[in-house]
Amino acid sequence: MRLKHWWFTAPLRLKSILFGRRLERELDEELQFHLEHKIEEGIANGLSPKEARYAAMRAMDGLEQRKEEMRDMRRIHWLTDFLDDARYAIRSLRRTPGLTAFVVITLASGIGMTSGTFSMVDALIFRPYPVPHPSGVVTLVSTTHDSSFEDFSYREYLDIRGKTKSYSGVIANAEMEAVGFSAEPSATPRVKGGMLVSGNYFQVLGVEPRLGRGFREDEDQVPGRDAVVVLGPNFWKHEFASDPGVIGRTIRLNGTEFTVIGVAPETFPGMPIFAHPDLYMPLAMARVFATDRQKNFFEDRDDRELTIRARLNPGTTLQQAQNELTVLAKSLESDYPKVNRGRGTAVHTQFEMRTRADDVNWKFGVIFVILALAVLLVACTNVAGLLLSRARARTREIAIRLAIGAGRFRLIRLLLTESLILSSLGGLAGIAIGYGVVEWFQSKRNVIFNTDLPFSVPFQMDKRVLLASLALSALSALLCGLVPALQSTRTDLVNGLKSADVDVPGRKRLWGRNLLVVAQVSASLMLLTASFLMVRGFQNSLREGTSFAKDHLLMVTFDPRLVQYDPAQTQRFYKLLAERIRVAPRVQTEALTQNVPLGIDDFDGVAFVPDGFQMPRDRENFNSTMDTVDEGYFETMAIPILRGRGFLASDTANSPRVAIVNEQFAKHYWPTADAVGKYIRLDSRTGALVEIVGIAQTIKYQNTFERPMDFVYMPLTQHPVARMTLMLRSSGDPLSLLQSVKDVLRSLDPNLPMLHTMSYEDFYLNQAVKGPRIAMDLVGSMGVVGLLLAIAGLYGLVAYNVSRRTREIGIRIALGALSSDVLRLVMGKGLVLVGMGTMLGLVMGFGVERLMNSMLFNAGGVDILAYIIVVPSLLLVTMLAAYVPARRASRIAPTQALRYE
Amino acid sequence: MSKPNDLVQGTLDLLLLKILALEPMHGWAISLRLKSISGDVLQVSEGSLYPALHKLEQEGWITAEWKQTENNRRAKFYSLTRLGKKQLESEAANWRRLSTAISDIIQLSEA
Repeated sequence: MRLKHWWFTAPLRLKSILFGRRLERELDEELQFHLEHKIEEGIANGLSPKEARYAAMRAMDGLEQRKEEMRDMRRIHWLTDFLDDARYAIRSLRRTPGLTAFVVITLASGIGMTSGTFSMVDALIFRPYPVPHPSGVVTLVSTTHDSSFEDFSYREYLDIRGKTKSYSGVIANAEMEAVGFSAEPSATPRVKGGMLVSGNYFQVLGVEPRLGRGFREDEDQVPGRDAVVVLGPNFWKHEFASDPGVIGRTIRLNGTEFTVIGVAPETFPGMPIFAHPDLYMPLAMARVFATDRQKNFFEDRDDRELTIRARLNPGTTLQQAQNELTVLAKSLESDYPKVNRGRGTAVHTQFEMRTRADDVNWKFGVIFVILALAVLLVACTNVAGLLLSRARARTREIAIRLAIGAGRFRLIRLLLTESLILSSLGGLAGIAIGYGVVEWFQSKRNVIFNTDLPFSVPFQMDKRVLLASLALSALSALLCGLVPALQSTRTDLVNGLKSADVDVPGRKRLWGRNLLVVAQVSASLMLLTASFLMVRGFQNSLREGTSFAKDHLLMVTFDPRLVQYDPAQTQRFYKLLAERIRVAPRVQTEALTQNVPLGIDDFDGVAFVPDGFQMPRDRENFNSTMDTVDEGYFETMAIPILRGRGFLASDTANSPRVAIVNEQFAKHYWPTADAVGKYIRLDSRTGALVEIVGIAQTIKYQNTFERPMDFVYMPLTQHPVARMTLMLRSSGDPLSLLQSVKDVLRSLDPNLPMLHTMSYEDFYLNQAVKGPRIAMDLVGSMGVVGLLLAIAGLYGLVAYNVSRRTREIGIRIALGALSSDVLRLVMGKGLVLVGMGTMLGLVMGFGVERLMNSMLFNAGGVDILAYIIVVPSLLLVTMLAAYVPARRASRIAPTQALRYE
Repeated sequence: MSKPNDLVQGTLDLLLLKILALEPMHGWAISLRLKSISGDVLQVSEGSLYPALHKLEQEGWITAEWKQTENNRRAKFYSLTRLGKKQLESEAANWRRLSTAISDIIQLSEA
């Protein structure tokens, strides 16, 4: 068949497969027609009917051969052969339902774990932006000495947009923030997720609104003029019941009236992986929303709150774009030395951003994929072992097939077809398990995102994941089918025909099984080490404690920007709130803080210069994380002040500025002296002078497994912040204080929403215990599945190896070997293999451990306990697996063993 | 059984295509036509006729259709496809080239 007109012949071949019977009938009829004519011709020439018939048949040169020739012609051999193989394989698999079921379950758990994990990694790393031609979209980042992935200010955005030529469009957006939304003026505002975007956002990304229109360029030029909003698809569906009449309606955002001009399409849930904004507003409306009140968003070059993305011109390389940006950054540096010193600009692809900027996702992803593949490997070796023993039991069948002329390749194909069917079944069941894993993740949404904002778990079993799972199934078919197929078709015919199951002496044919044992032991050891390490690291971090009190605390967050308070009103509100709630019944102490420890939002940073410090030439200042708190904070959270004092009511806006630093900070900058009484200057050498008045104990700030970090506290009175969280210590159930808070709030402003109202202990459990536990559960279940599979597989392999040597053992005993000799012989072999696997597993385990330690935990060094528990338990299993059949073999009477076959 | 005038390899295809290019017909008619036009010089075994037809059909050069014959019997009529027409042209050209070359050689040896 020539390839060039396959499109023409393919339907014919298909026809011959689908309508085989009809074609057969037609073939008969056509030849019959010819024969009848031939016979008539013969009779006409004077032959008798019988003679005419013979003559006609002779002329055909053998009717049946001709038919066969024609059948061959229209067949596609590989396909019909495959169907035959498949039919045969299904038949033989049905004869051993137990084995088949076990193999399918084993493969399913391997493939399921992997496809579930892949759905995660795909969502976090590989899934392209939900826009047309996503590969052209790059991200720009601002770089400094301390960080390579910083945001830009509005002014910098305008510069980049105006002075670059590599892009067809440059867009900017702020982070998704809480926005007070009300459809009617009279309604109490509810919290929704809003994102400020540049006017060209939708147009540059190529997102066509589902309804109405996107922003016009001129709607993003005059600050505060165009109050327009585009709704997110889900928000439109749930808040407005997909009403098309919503276009042109007026809604209130943070108290300001906005006109709805469009609805984003379903296909565009948002650019971030997790956050799916409800509302998009133009950057020019930034004053209405949560931007830094200390700074002027439109003017201050160091108010860096914007993510910048751009669409590369076709034909422009990343390197060209980078060169252009480097030049631009240099000129910004010389134009604005105060705010841009040492600051560069870099351009990254989506993949680079997701693997470097969000490197925790990437690292978690890599670890999970390694572990899942290890489970798959164990599953595959397990199945390979089983197929191998199955194939050995079929030695005779295979020998007969070879003897009567089957090609070796043909037989390998038959055996591979069998494993392909097994792995397809396993793959289907595995995809079902994968769905389960994804569903389980989805059900944990509220634990993963401890917030009211529209965040969602992006993992899904989409086309990409399904495809990957199918590819995995095919791969595992090859993995677990090839070795047994190769080995079992290398049978020695003479011996194969003589007995049902022989082992030809020689080392060569054993490598496959030995390899399986080693691979299994090492992979499962690595899995166990990793899961052990993660669980232990997690427990360690919990046991270490957080160094502050978590119980009997109520937390309520306020954001007066949602009801349009100016900074003075905001300050007054917090002052009154604190004063009134402090005297409420059952309230022991009160605190206000910008961020709660182990909270959702990142702490702010503060740039400073320790007073009198000689700064390195190339840097303007140092950075530290910081929090803004009131004078009740340290007492309420039970954070000890080690030296100096806490904040006092006498630290007011008009008194000299003060700060409290943590012990880590103090040791870092004044390793030999007492930090109390020292000064720092904010931003630069000439900035505001702040006295360090106290040293607080170092606690866990961002998460429970962080390393100790520098930390600065500023008093609320001197560092006003709009969004604060009230923490109340109660004598009883913290939630019982809620009514008091509501009462006080009603007396101050009934319109102000209460956000994140919960007991801090619940919040903490969700954030620091249940969240990480999701990862622990996943890794733990991989470890358990891996171990169970490895035990079953090891036991099977070793036991099988021993039972095959029954005859040999019988001979040894007949010749006078003691049963202890036999035991030593049999178990020695198993132990050598396990030993090799253990060594390999240890090496891989150390590798994974280093990887995990370097990325996620500060467990530090080698976790000896993991090895002390894991290694001996695996050895024990193997010994048991070798011991049981060995004992049975050693007890067999020699006469019986020799007659074994 | 040796055939005195075995067909040159591949020429049967050419003959069949040429015959079918004139008009669609069934296998029996083709075998009669083969005999009559070549005047018994070219003997095509009836046994090899049908496999050859099948091959042409699988290549997509001819297509078959069940129709009634003049005496009202069902028979499989073959006809040339567009692809078959092209094939015929190229094979005929090939043949012409080949036979010219061979007769040239023969004349050469006589001269």
